[in-house]
Amino acid sequence: MDTIKLKLIYPKWQKLRGQTTFNLPPHGPVAFAATLPEYVDVSFTDENVEEINFDEPCDLVALSMMLSTQVKRGWEIADEYHRRGKLVMAGGISSMLHAEDMVKHVDSLFLGESEGRMEQVMQDFVRGELKKVYNYMGQMPPIEDVGPCRRDLYKRDLYNHKGVPMVDLFHASRGCRFSCYPCAVSYLGGRKFRPRPIDKVVEDMAGIDNNRLFIVDNSLAQNKDWERELFKAIAPLKKKWISHTIEDDPEILDLAAKAGAWYVYQAVYDTSDYIKERVKRYHDNGIGVEGTILLGLDNQTEDDIKRLIDFLGEIDLDLAEFTVMTPFPHTKGYDDLLRQGRIFDFDWNHYNAGQVVFQPKHMSPERLQELYDYAWASFYKDESQEAKMFNLFCQVALREMEEGTYRPRDRRLINKSFGRIVDRHKRNVNQ
Amino acid sequence: MLRHRRSPSNNMKVPQEYYDEIFEFRGQWDMPSACGLKIREVEGLTYVIVTEMYQENPGTSVTYAGRSLAEQICEAKGLKLSDIIYLECTPDTNSKLSFYDEEYFRVDFSGERPAYTQMSADELHRILSHKAS
Repeated sequence: MDTIKLKLIYPKWQKLRGQTTFNLPPHGPVAFAATLPEYVDVSFTDENVEEINFDEPCDLVALSMMLSTQVKRGWEIADEYHRRGKLVMAGGISSMLHAEDMVKHVDSLFLGESEGRMEQVMQDFVRGELKKVYNYMGQMPPIEDVGPCRRDLYKRDLYNHKGVPMVDLFHASRGCRFSCYPCAVSYLGGRKFRPRPIDKVVEDMAGIDNNRLFIVDNSLAQNKDWERELFKAIAPLKKKWISHTIEDDPEILDLAAKAGAWYVYQAVYDTSDYIKERVKRYHDNGIGVEGTILLGLDNQTEDDIKRLIDFLGEIDLDLAEFTVMTPFPHTKGYDDLLRQGRIFDFDWNHYNAGQVVFQPKHMSPERLQELYDYAWASFYKDESQEAKMFNLFCQVALREMEEGTYRPRDRRLINKSFGRIVDRHKRNVNQ
Repeated sequence: MLRHRRSPSNNMKVPQEYYDEIFEFRGQWDMPSACGLKIREVEGLTYVIVTEMYQENPGTSVTYAGRSLAEQICEAKGLKLSDIIYLECTPDTNSKLSFYDEEYFRVDFSGERPAYTQMSADELHRILSHKAS
């Protein structure tokens, strides 16, 4: 079989104004690349950190997209390659969420998970019989088939901020048994929790040349036995990791801390003592907490939102991330707001969770937008987001020093941020 | 209205009162999908009530499936889309999660996009009090 030169692209998106810029090495493209046959020679460009060279020779182009805000840029890239006579494929989360639109802009749309399926796709390409749609929705490959990602494709220096490498993204499971209101994961990855075999997780994780990871699974709190085994198994690796929610159980939290839990994303959805105690229990185990606060739900009045913002000051969060309710397709939020005729903006570039695209129940869209801006400004008024991140960084660095795993900053890159030369004394904030 | 006591569980199982049968359908991109289904004859009108099954639906939601689901039901049950009154139900699942309360919407597929009208409890009760056809 002759080599196929495949150009794999992760389209850029507009970062949220006023927030600290961080470009993490994307997970989807390298997970996809790992499923390609050996005779496919992959060249990867993450447009968020480097320009696309449209003249680079290739036989086939593949767009990998995660966010709704990448979709329209993906179409522009496809148009540019079409002008050069190239065939373009698309896949990934947002290709699935926006499949009806996406299929109009590319030559071939891949829906579903690619493990065990790309040999057939590449054979079709070689024969000149690439299908318009490869539809594997709802047909999950065996979770055992999920292997290590092609992290060798990353240009590592581009995922580095002033000498500090960004975390590597990692997944220990797919699917989700919950049906949370604003989330599409159960549609995309199935409504059944599909944990990877522990030995595969350990082997995969051990092979990553980065001590800091972000375990991107939707929620680790889906199967206590698996969680327990997972944390026991990865503890000897001495990795430090970020994750979404961990089971609220003393034994599990203790095991998570021993396994290297650095900080978690925890939804703060009300001002209850339960939330306050939940955050405290993480902290008691040495685990930091980044609160995720969704604004604009139907049960929130202006006063509720202001109270929620004030409450954050009482619960000692290490970081907070505010988003506005966004009706992504294939979520209950989308269905509800669509039926009620409350979605007024279907421009996917605006679906960045920072822009109001629907009519809130208790206020105007403009007022919700103001409250969103107020929330960010209020939480970070005394200490910037970058400073709070630095505090968390110091915590993990100290733990690594104790364990002998700390790697000093790369002095070569001290004046660079994601490949660009910067003044290292200036703040790293989007304009 | 069907009302259920809230329990602390969040398994979100849809109570069986909401449907007479589980209707399996081809969702978006032919995804195997399922919804609850009730059909009622009331005063010479045929009411088709589809219920979202959440975790028990492996594929596309009833709202996203929209007209395609209505057509599949009509084909399976020997009905004409233009002759039925089509209702979407989001059931109360006894969930501790917010936003999973019972709601009913009448759906009109005659335009380019479906048009939704929320139904009152009284209207709904009158329909549901009739026996299965």
